[in-house]
Amino acid sequence: MSDVNISKLKGIVGDAYVIDSPSEMAKYLKGQGKPAVVVLPASTSEVSSIVKLANEKNVKLGVGGAVVDTQGITGGIAMVMSRMNRILEMDHLNLVAVVEPGLLHKDFILKVAEAGLNFPPEPYVIETSSVGGCFAIGDSDSKSFEYGPTRTFLLGFEMVLPTGEILEIGNKCIKNVSGLDFIHFAVGSQGTFGIFTKLLVKLLPVPEAKKAVIGTFASMHKANATFNTLIKRNVHPTRMNLINASLAKIAKPGTEGQLVIIDLQGFKESGKNIANEVASVLTLGGGSDVKIIEEGAEYDQVINGWLKVRAELNAKPSEIVEFVVGPMKMPQALSQLEAQTGDLGAYPGIIVEGLLGYVCLALPEGTDKLALARKVNKLAMSLGGNVKGLLGHKLKAEVYNDAEMWKQTTSLLSELRQQFDPKGILNPGVSLEA
Amino acid sequence: MLSQAVVKRLKEIVGEKNVVTDKVGLLTYGYDGTLLSGEALGVVSPTTTEQVVEIVKLMNEQDIKLVPRGAGTNESGGTIPSEKSVVISFTKMTKIHEIDTENFVAVVEPGVINFDLQVELAKKNFYFPPDPSSFKASTIGGNLGECSGGPKCFKYGVTRDYMLGLEVVLPNGKVIQTGGRNFQSEPGYDLTRIIVGSEGILGLVTKVFVRILPIPRAKKTMLALYDKVEDASQTVADIVAAGIIPTTLELMDNLLINTTEDFTHAGLPRDAGAVLIIEVDGYPEDMDGQVKTIGEIASKIAKEFKVAQTAVEVDQIWTSRRSAFGSVARVRPSYGVNDITVPRSNFPKAIGGVLKVAKDFGVTIGVVAHAGDGNLHPLILFDQRNKEETETVHAAEQALCMMALDLEGTISGEHGIGLVKKKYLDKEFTPAAMEAFRKIKRSFDPSNRFNPGKIIDL
Ligand SMILES: Cc1cc2nc3c(=O)[nH]c(=O)nc-3n(C[C@H](O)[C@H](O)[C@H](O)COP(=O)(O)OP(=O)(O)OC[C@H]3O[C@@H](n4cnc5c(N)ncnc54)[C@H](O)[C@@H]3O)c2cc1C
Repeated sequence: MSDVNISKLKGIVGDAYVIDSPSEMAKYLKGQGKPAVVVLPASTSEVSSIVKLANEKNVKLGVGGAVVDTQGITGGIAMVMSRMNRILEMDHLNLVAVVEPGLLHKDFILKVAEAGLNFPPEPYVIETSSVGGCFAIGDSDSKSFEYGPTRTFLLGFEMVLPTGEILEIGNKCIKNVSGLDFIHFAVGSQGTFGIFTKLLVKLLPVPEAKKAVIGTFASMHKANATFNTLIKRNVHPTRMNLINASLAKIAKPGTEGQLVIIDLQGFKESGKNIANEVASVLTLGGGSDVKIIEEGAEYDQVINGWLKVRAELNAKPSEIVEFVVGPMKMPQALSQLEAQTGDLGAYPGIIVEGLLGYVCLALPEGTDKLALARKVNKLAMSLGGNVKGLLGHKLKAEVYNDAEMWKQTTSLLSELRQQFDPKGILNPGVSLEA
Repeated sequence: MLSQAVVKRLKEIVGEKNVVTDKVGLLTYGYDGTLLSGEALGVVSPTTTEQVVEIVKLMNEQDIKLVPRGAGTNESGGTIPSEKSVVISFTKMTKIHEIDTENFVAVVEPGVINFDLQVELAKKNFYFPPDPSSFKASTIGGNLGECSGGPKCFKYGVTRDYMLGLEVVLPNGKVIQTGGRNFQSEPGYDLTRIIVGSEGILGLVTKVFVRILPIPRAKKTMLALYDKVEDASQTVADIVAAGIIPTTLELMDNLLINTTEDFTHAGLPRDAGAVLIIEVDGYPEDMDGQVKTIGEIASKIAKEFKVAQTAVEVDQIWTSRRSAFGSVARVRPSYGVNDITVPRSNFPKAIGGVLKVAKDFGVTIGVVAHAGDGNLHPLILFDQRNKEETETVHAAEQALCMMALDLEGTISGEHGIGLVKKKYLDKEFTPAAMEAFRKIKRSFDPSNRFNPGKIIDL
């Protein structure tokens, strides 16, 4: 028996937006949990009422843009934000937008582009990612070297706290140090501090020009060596990415070998020279089919190919290991990695974001993820990096043999979480223990 | 007064010469960039993280609070010892552990002066973008404590954007690391971000991993002169509308033009209503086009527009701007620096608002502004020895804060809250937001041991 009060939920959002038949619920859910109900609120006050209702009976609540992760919310409520999908304001003078969290990230990018502006963060999973999710995950991506990570683009928000209270913070100023920086601290908190109901987003002017240079390489290592050459030559493109042979076919059908994508945004007059320089570095480095792409549709195709690969990897977090090293240390990282994994070209998947020194490795079926992550972390640490995120911290503490530090970190994290969500209601599936 | 026993223990931890307890010595640590003052029980200057840990433990035992301090140039009262407290000064933790240009990282101790880091980086053709005008004196620890800005924020952002990771001593004396050497290392919550700008109330930072960038290949500095401040702000709006992202859009009004001229003799016309310093950077090929567009935009309204032709000219322009705060001292003995920010579109209104406050309260106000960011520093000139005048000035400062909030802005763009603006904080934030700050403070520092009384009370 679940404690969810379906009729009260219907009273809040209307009958049509409370779904409790398992077959109809399925399209809103992912994962193994079995929530009792899916609810689709249309406004902040509805979100707040739902959260308050959940509080009365201590019902667990999971939140998602288009799809909710059901982990930890069996018998509870899955809240889907997709009806809250309006752009409330597009302010050209201040280069900001006010947007609701349920708007799909890809649709937001389109609308922003139509307005002649730019929202740089890449969609995490193209088809389902929402703007709310973008900031709840708060990642960096292959454009972050130039534009900064996702958090850079949040100036404020409205949020329903785990107690149902509504919190508003931030303003249209691009510089603001008033109070503690809860604005940026909330980015990446995965819905544990609260549910975003409005986002005040910073935008940029559209880059004056866009070009890409692509090339294919028989060897992963040779491809990667060209990145070091570019960095040494003081060339810092917008993206400098590498996709191994098995994934390259998804990014650009027909590709044989490893695909290198160099993206150049901005660089209005200089773009031609830089593109030529990049093209010669790729060619001299052993690349074939090296091509400078200037035409808009073809450029978009290349970038969308990249996003598609990225989305496939992001969709399976339990089947990937992600790590970072100093960008110039990447050649060593890949050689040492290969010693552990065997031929990287043949691996199910590996991508490199060269400017960030980031690697995402898709694991063959049956791999012991933790064991591999442990090895990879050691390797990465010797090259100025670590496995990404919370898991990386745990493994780092292991290497330092510093259980105390790990304990301190997790107890601080859980104290923070508890301060905001004393009953542990919101997104209980999110673990802060790695 | 600290007991003999505590002084002895402190000296054992950091060494004889790194503990100050004499009256005269303490006096200097009672001040900062504001007009406030206080008196510490003692000052202790650790040189290692281990010493910081020992100090924290000892102070916890003794129930004495700690006030972290860098160079003490903050404009918020952020280092004023306000309760029974010992100042922990980071000015002896000045090691640059590592500069790794290949991987865009430097690892430094918190007491490193921003300028000293810039000098070392410049040798390798790199730089650290945050450069508050106080960069010759202020420390990296202080920059991160306040999340300082500077003249380059419009393009490059603020201190927050260049902090990759930290080593932090928590109020319970335990050490944690936040972040790492790259963007992807935060443990679940972005702890680095909440420490940045927290003015020392959450943790003591003992090591900083900063992001560094190659010095841009080319840069152009321009100067536009206007009859009125409002005209300058029109140019700012037009440049942004043209899709150009300059590194710098700095504005000074007539009063500041004159005071800086007295000081630098840079040749700015004393009758100009405002001067705008505009800088763009990037690839050499892209400079001419941008300079041309900016020139066309500015010349529509400016009475004069020029492009600096030599490094000396560039220097001259920047010397004027950098001496702005100090230069006003010739007019009146004291000045209060304000730090309001409004959405860029409200900048002209904010200028109007400043003029109105000056008139309403009968005070002299000069304006320096990071105009591209909508960040104004109205400088109120007065004589602190005159009690009545001082009170009027405080009232005017409050009026400036309220004006910024009415224009949907903030009471602090880059200087922080500290003691000075704490009393206005709940005018900017709702009770729920204020409570969120307290929740965060409570999680880190439930017994209110670090920098008590700054930003919020528990
Ligand atoms: C002439 C002048 C010009 C200025 N120009 C600018 C400007 O352009 N932009 C700008 O943003 N600011 C400016 N400021 C303000 C000030 O210089 C900055 O806030 C600066 O970053 C403070 O650095 P500091 O080393 O003096 O820090 P302090 O004043 O010593 O400390 C600042 C804060 O950080 C905390 N803190 C210091 N070290 C640590 C540590 N290791 N761990 C934890 N907390 C710590 C302190 O407790 C305090 O709250 C200016 C000030 C002056 C006097």
